Amino acid sequence: MVKSESLSCPVSNLTAQSNLRKRRNGPSLVPYLFIFPFVLFFIILFVGPAFYSLYLSFFRYAGYGESVWVGLDNYRAVLQYNIFWIALKNIFFYWMAHAIPMMALAFGLAVLVNSKLARYRNVFKPLIYMPQIIATVAAALIFQNFFGTQYGILNRILGAEIPWLSDMDLARWVIVIFLIWRGLGYWFVIFLAGLTSINPEIMEAATVDGATAWRRMVYVTIPLMRNSFLFAFVVDGVVTLRLFAEPNILVGKAGALASVQVAPVLNLVIEYIRSARFGMAAATGWILFLVIAIISWLQFRLFRQEEG
Amino acid sequence: MNVFRSSNIARSNTIARWSTAAKKVLILLALIAAALISVYPIVMMMINSFKSDREMYINPAGLPIEWTLESYGKVFQYHGGLWLNIVNSIIISLISTIMAVFLSALAAYAFAKYHFRGRDTLFALLLATFMIPPEIIIPGQYIFFARLHLINTLHVQILPTITPILGLFFIRQYMALIPNDLLEAARVDGAGHFTVFTKIMVPVCSPVLGAYAILHFMSVWNAYTWPVLVAVKREVQPAMVVLPQMVDPVVGFLPVWGTIMAGATLATLPILIVFLSMQDKFMSSVTVGSVKG
Repeated sequence: MVKSESLSCPVSNLTAQSNLRKRRNGPSLVPYLFIFPFVLFFIILFVGPAFYSLYLSFFRYAGYGESVWVGLDNYRAVLQYNIFWIALKNIFFYWMAHAIPMMALAFGLAVLVNSKLARYRNVFKPLIYMPQIIATVAAALIFQNFFGTQYGILNRILGAEIPWLSDMDLARWVIVIFLIWRGLGYWFVIFLAGLTSINPEIMEAATVDGATAWRRMVYVTIPLMRNSFLFAFVVDGVVTLRLFAEPNILVGKAGALASVQVAPVLNLVIEYIRSARFGMAAATGWILFLVIAIISWLQFRLFRQEEG
Repeated sequence: MNVFRSSNIARSNTIARWSTAAKKVLILLALIAAALISVYPIVMMMINSFKSDREMYINPAGLPIEWTLESYGKVFQYHGGLWLNIVNSIIISLISTIMAVFLSALAAYAFAKYHFRGRDTLFALLLATFMIPPEIIIPGQYIFFARLHLINTLHVQILPTITPILGLFFIRQYMALIPNDLLEAARVDGAGHFTVFTKIMVPVCSPVLGAYAILHFMSVWNAYTWPVLVAVKREVQPAMVVLPQMVDPVVGFLPVWGTIMAGATLATLPILIVFLSMQDKFMSSVTVGSVKG
């Protein structure tokens, strides 16, 4: 990264010269000029802060004054903090509880829409996708209103006062329902694209061999889609592990953070920054990154095994 | 097939036709149910935006007893006006989108159409950083912007979004498919490198630039985590940060549901309209690069 910066720096001074030279030798510095703005901003705004976050995670720093080297103490402190483990358990719960039914539903709907018997496909596709279009915040607020205890839509319809969002054991399931509702359309479109990309000759061959629709599904389509499922499950997991807005807006009151029992890991990062404990915030972030990296690596290994 | 007698064939055909019809109806019903569940909350948001805050406490579930634009009026008055925050959202998303698309397209062009030393390594390195979730670097970013005295400004909400690796990747993949002859022809005619980019590459790639611009605009418009941390002052907050905080000015903790739903509708409607008018582009942009997993 640093190298590319030092490479690009002299570029701007040499523009005129290189333009002259290029006529004979082909483009030389021109491509560097094209990538220079992007790479420069990327280094300043992403790479720099990323390394700085890593550096911070080994220090005690309050945002002003001196930073004190503490080695791995921040990491140790986070790992010994029971609230971190509750938060980690929460995000894994959200992942497992919503991803499996959501993927099954999304795939089922994709199969239905893809079926020769389906009508009005072009009406259903955008309607099922629509929750994706609504901003997370707006959608979460609609659900907060829907599941409200006293003034909620659902309780009004049921004529009950069930504390959907104030009883945390219920609230975590409301969060799961929300994640399913909002994510369904996305994976529906992805799976539909996967289904339409299956070679029709394979299906014809299976039909000629006497396979029923159900058998074609179980023995041809699902095995062909296996990698897509695994990929979807992991991608969805990486997104869920970084959850923030959904649980906080649904359960937290008036823009406040959600109660610890349902809080995701990012809440810790935000709370540490708000209380000016930047070292702890950074360490929490990098631990979360390690979790995500391990999951991605496991997925990669699984793919490898299948190919090899 | 020859084994069957003709009457048997006729009967099995009727059964088959009948069961096909039944299946058609069942599929249609299942899809209608899915579509209703998907759309119902959105429709409720819009319906409830036409109720007053008071009516929302009595009648949250039904149609408005009294259709009123009172809640929309409050969006413009509420604590100095939620509309100011909607304007903030527009400024942030628009500037971010323009810069992000411009910077990504420039870099993507070089990565797609030039050979230069370190190109593939650099591109791979850039893509690899996609593995690092942006939230992880928030502590470092926060101090960086605090040192520049940019916390509580619009800048701090725009800057971290202007170098999207996803955009670079999308646009590069598209540009790589543009035939080189097209560019060579222009160069032979004496066009400079930048002219080839602006006069040929940008128009030819406008579908992917437009698709990515929409995606990017949406993601900035919908951002919550970073803005909620760095925009604490009311006058620099985007709509998404303010919406969840809107409570009754007298009682304090009660959400003003009518006003919130009116604000949410206003914040959603522009994107919804764009979506409905070009849904195919929208949904195909989702599947770019993700199907061949």
